[in-house]
This record gives sequence, C-alpha cells and structure tokens, in this order.
Amino acid sequence: MSTDASTALQPTRALIYHLRDVVKTRESEGVAFRLRVPSLQIAMGEKIALIGESGCGKSTLLDMLAFILQPSTAGAFRFRPECDGESLDVQAYWKDGKLNELGDLRKRHIGYVMQTGGLLPYLTVHDNMNLCRSVLGLRPDGTVEHLAEELGITSHLSKLPDALSTGERQRVAIGRALAHRPSIVIADEPTASLDPYAAEKVMSLFLGLAEELNITVILASHAWRHIKELGLRRLTHRTLAYASKRLTETVVSG
Amino acid sequence: MGGPRSKVFGLASRDYLHEWQMSGCFVLALAAVLGPMLVLFGLKFGIVGAMVDQLIEDPRNCEVRPVGSGRYDRAWLESVRARPEVAFLVPRTRSIAATIELSSPQASRIVPVELIASDRGDPLLPPNGPLPEGTTRVVLSQSAAEKLDVAAGDTLDGSLARRFRGHQERVHLPLTVAAIAPARAFSRDGAFVSVMLLEALEDFRDGRAVPLLGWEGEPVDANRTYPGFRLYARSIYDVAGLRDAFARLNVDVHTRTAEIELVQRMDRNLTAIYWAIAVIGLVGFSLSLGASLWANVDRKRRELSVLRLVGFRTADIVWFPMVQALFTAVLGWALAVAIYQATAWVINDMMAAQLETGQQVCRLLPWHYAIALALTCGAAVLAAGLAGLRSARVEPSEGLRDL
Repeated sequence: MSTDASTALQPTRALIYHLRDVVKTRESEGVAFRLRVPSLQIAMGEKIALIGESGCGKSTLLDMLAFILQPSTAGAFRFRPECDGESLDVQAYWKDGKLNELGDLRKRHIGYVMQTGGLLPYLTVHDNMNLCRSVLGLRPDGTVEHLAEELGITSHLSKLPDALSTGERQRVAIGRALAHRPSIVIADEPTASLDPYAAEKVMSLFLGLAEELNITVILASHAWRHIKELGLRRLTHRTLAYASKRLTETVVSG
Repeated sequence: MGGPRSKVFGLASRDYLHEWQMSGCFVLALAAVLGPMLVLFGLKFGIVGAMVDQLIEDPRNCEVRPVGSGRYDRAWLESVRARPEVAFLVPRTRSIAATIELSSPQASRIVPVELIASDRGDPLLPPNGPLPEGTTRVVLSQSAAEKLDVAAGDTLDGSLARRFRGHQERVHLPLTVAAIAPARAFSRDGAFVSVMLLEALEDFRDGRAVPLLGWEGEPVDANRTYPGFRLYARSIYDVAGLRDAFARLNVDVHTRTAEIELVQRMDRNLTAIYWAIAVIGLVGFSLSLGASLWANVDRKRRELSVLRLVGFRTADIVWFPMVQALFTAVLGWALAVAIYQATAWVINDMMAAQLETGQQVCRLLPWHYAIALALTCGAAVLAAGLAGLRSARVEPSEGLRDL
C-alpha cells in the first residue's frame, strides 16, 4: 500500500527480475486463489520485503521467483542473474518443460531459505551448509566455516540437524543459502518459527551477511515492525475477496 | 554427468545408513518374502526334480523287447545297434537254453538261474561296475546271491546237462562272481553273463561242440542267428520312434510307451503346477517389494524436493531412490539366501536317513540364486524408478510444502 521512497527503483541499475502481468491461479475445494503481479522489477543488490498475513500469496510469489512454481500466465518473466549477462525468458523455459535448465539456474544463482528447516537429516551441519557448494563443484575455501562463525554455529558443524534447536537449524539453512555466493537469496518467513528475540537476531545476521556478500535479498515476512529498521524496500500488495465468485485475489507490484 | 550422479550415490548411501532402522526393516521385509520362496523353489527342484529324474532314468522304461522269437543275424543286429537312438543292444539266445544250475561251497542247495545276455554299458548294471566277461565271470542277481550265500569274488560251480547221441551228459563249469547286481536290476534268480558264454551253453545243449571249453559235439553253424535281443533306447523320448522303426521292419516289439506317456504327463503337470505357484509367488513378491519402495519414496518426497531445490536434475533425483532400492534388494537377497541355506540344511539333515548319499530334498543351483538376485534388483529398480520419477515430476514447490 505504500512504497518506501528511500529504496525506490533506480532505473540505471541492472534489473535481475522483470515481471509483467504474471498470474498464478490455484483452486482447492471450490475456492479459488489468484495472485496477480501487474509489474515487478527487482534490481541487483536490492533488499526486498514482502509483508502480509499468511495465506496472502507471499510463498506463491517467492516460489515463482525461485523457479519452483510455474506461473499460470505471464506477459513477461525475465531473469538476468549477471550484470553483463543476457536476460533469460523464464516463462519459455517452463513452457518447454526445461525443468533441469531452471534447476541449473537455481543451483548457480539462487539461495533459498525455507520457513522451517529443509535440511537433509542425514548430513552434518557442515555438509548441509556445503551442499549447494558441492553440487556446484566448488572447492572448500573456508566460506562454510566463516559463515558458521558469523552465524554462531561453529560448535555444531559436525552434528546432525536433529541435535539442533529450531533456531539453530534456521541459521544452518541461512548458511546453506549463502554459502555458494548466489546472486539472490529468497527467504520465505525464515524466522517465523523462532521466538521474537531470536527472530530479530537471526534476521539481522542474515541481512548483514547478505549485505557483506552483496547478495540481492527477497524476503517474505508477516511482521513489518522489525524489518522496517533493516532498510528493506517493501512491495505493495492488496488482497480483494470476491465473495460471490468465491475468489481471493492478491495483487502485488513494485 | 558423473559428478552429480556420484554425489547422489553418496547422499543416498548416507541417508540409507542414517536411517538404518528403517532400512533394516525394508531388508527384513524383503527377506521374509524371498526366503520362503527360495525354500519352496528348492523343495520343488529337489523333490520333484529327483522324482522325475528317477522315473525318466529308470532303464526299464527305455526297453524295447521283441515279441516272440525271430531269426536275427549279426549283421542286422549291428545295423540296429548303429542307430543313434539305441543305447544298448545284445543278442539273446533261446530262453530255454539260457539257464544253468549253480552251486556254491557255502550253500547246500543247487539253484537254477536264468541267464541274461549282457555287455559293457548294460543299463541294468551300475555304470563303471564289474561286468560279466568271457566264460567265467558272471554278475549274480541279488536273490540268487542270497540263496547261494556268495559275495563278489567267490567261486561257483555251474552245471548243465544234455541228451547227446542217446545218453545223458552233464558238464561242470567253474564260475566267478564278478559282482552282485542291484536288487532292482533283476528280481528273480538270475545271472548276467557274456553273449559268448550264452552261445557256448546253447551250442552244448544243441549237441554242438564247444572247443573253447573242451565240450564235444557236431560242428558249429557259421551263420548263427538269434531269436531275440535286449535293446534299450537312449532315453524314454526315443522309445516311440524306435517302436515305429521296428514296425516298418515288420518286427513286433513291446515297449512301455504307455508308462512313458504317464511319466511325461506327470512331469509336465508337476512343472505346470510349480510354475503356477512360482508366478503367483513372484507377483506377490514384486508387489510387496514395489509397494514398500513406492511408499518409501513418497515418505522422502520432501527431501527429494530439497535436492530439486538445490539444483539436482530429474535423472539424479530418480537415481536417489533407485540406489537405496538396490541396497535393499541386494541386502534382502543376501539375507534370504542365508535363511534358505539354514532351512535347506535343516531339511536335508532331517531327511538324510531316508535318502541315498549325495541326494538332497532341498537344493538350488548357483544360477537359481543369480536369477533371484536379478529379479529382485529388477523389481526394486523398476518400483523405485517409477516412484522417483513421479516425485521428480511434482512441481518442487508442492513437494516442499506438502508436509
């Protein structure tokens, strides 16, 4: 509903995402839900926040941005992971069923932090954090250890996720999403399962690290209060309910 | 592609070890189905196989016996012997002449015995055992040996009489027991002897001279003919063909074709019954293995989606459950083989008293194990592959948020 003026889009900067008229419709038990994005542009290095109640479509948008959910229709869905690279037509990849190519893009350029865990229970904390790196074939360069230190989980590196508290596991998940130095990190309510104090701490750690590594951040959260202080650009959205048609529509733009 | 593939292999192995209790349950479940299947197969193969073999190998079923008496010369008999389906053929002399009275130092009574023409390769005598030879070495039937109270190596006195030129003549012949024939070879009092001895005895009875044994008489007819022969086909499957061949030569023969057909029908029926059981068992086994592996992949959908999220390709993700299914298949098979071995050992040990040495009620050949392994791995890979493919096809976001 309001655009943060201080982080308004700067036209000179390279756009990492460019979406126009992207729609995702879902239906379950006669109730339809529609997410509509008339226009969304995200520049490289930006920190974006998507704030709203759960169920308003935040996750849907994030999943589309992470190429793990196919838009129903899209006027344009372009992705340019590198400043000097070419702009890729993501919608065309979906249409051609190139899931593996989308997977490759995600592997190289995107880190994803889920609401809870998403850690592999059979890998140690170190190996979980190193997962994306090892998939990319990156050599150990101390990044994992450095991140673990920053996140305060160095003493847990050789443990399995089961032995960790929820908050510690979220830190591991954040470490995993950052370790391969992606262009973008997408985080879906990364602190929702933590108590407010821990949540604030983990969130500032996360954003601090992203800043340090110069990574674009797209973050969903249901609480704006402490996000505001961290200087994120907030995407506007409004939710309309058409009772007669049993349709809920969320419109996001920014 | 080797990189991510071996990476997935490593991840799948670590998951399998991490979940060792669950993995152990899958292995046990597989062995619990496969083990009894192997025992069942081992029993069928051991019992039915041995039974059918025994029926097929009983030499009496292969016999082709001429009905009545004919006049067969050596050349004709040689031409019959040359047929590939003939395993054994010796000429027979007249049965009235083919008897002798035996006595031994140990027994007081004189035992008249029938003489059976024999030679190397006689199917009624044990292969590679001692054979009747020349005019002295004979193989006694078990009942004759018992009455005479003799064993292999003992000596006997054979005697026979004739009316020659108006008066009774009796000759004696020293004989040696080369061996005692198995009980099933000949049930009456009898002796397997060489054709040479039979010819000599027939000649003597006919009043002819036998210079070899110093018996006097008329000169021997050079063109000897025989009233019959002992013939055995190579296998029961050749008997009908030989019967038809003799019919074309106008030689009437008696065979056990009817019994052979019975045996063959039994063989076919037992095999059919077994295959019905085996197929039902195999289908049940594949379904149970497939269902458990399918359920396992469903259980792991979220973790597979995480792999998808960090950029593994579809093929790598399908590979993950397939590797684990292969572990289950190989370990389950190994456990099933161990179960089978133990069971078979117990069964064979229990039955040992009732069996001939070396015979086993429950047995499998190496290639049976190999087939079991191949089928298990095949079913496992198929089930896990299909389930994995289904998981990989689900939109990653759905898999991640399912649970």
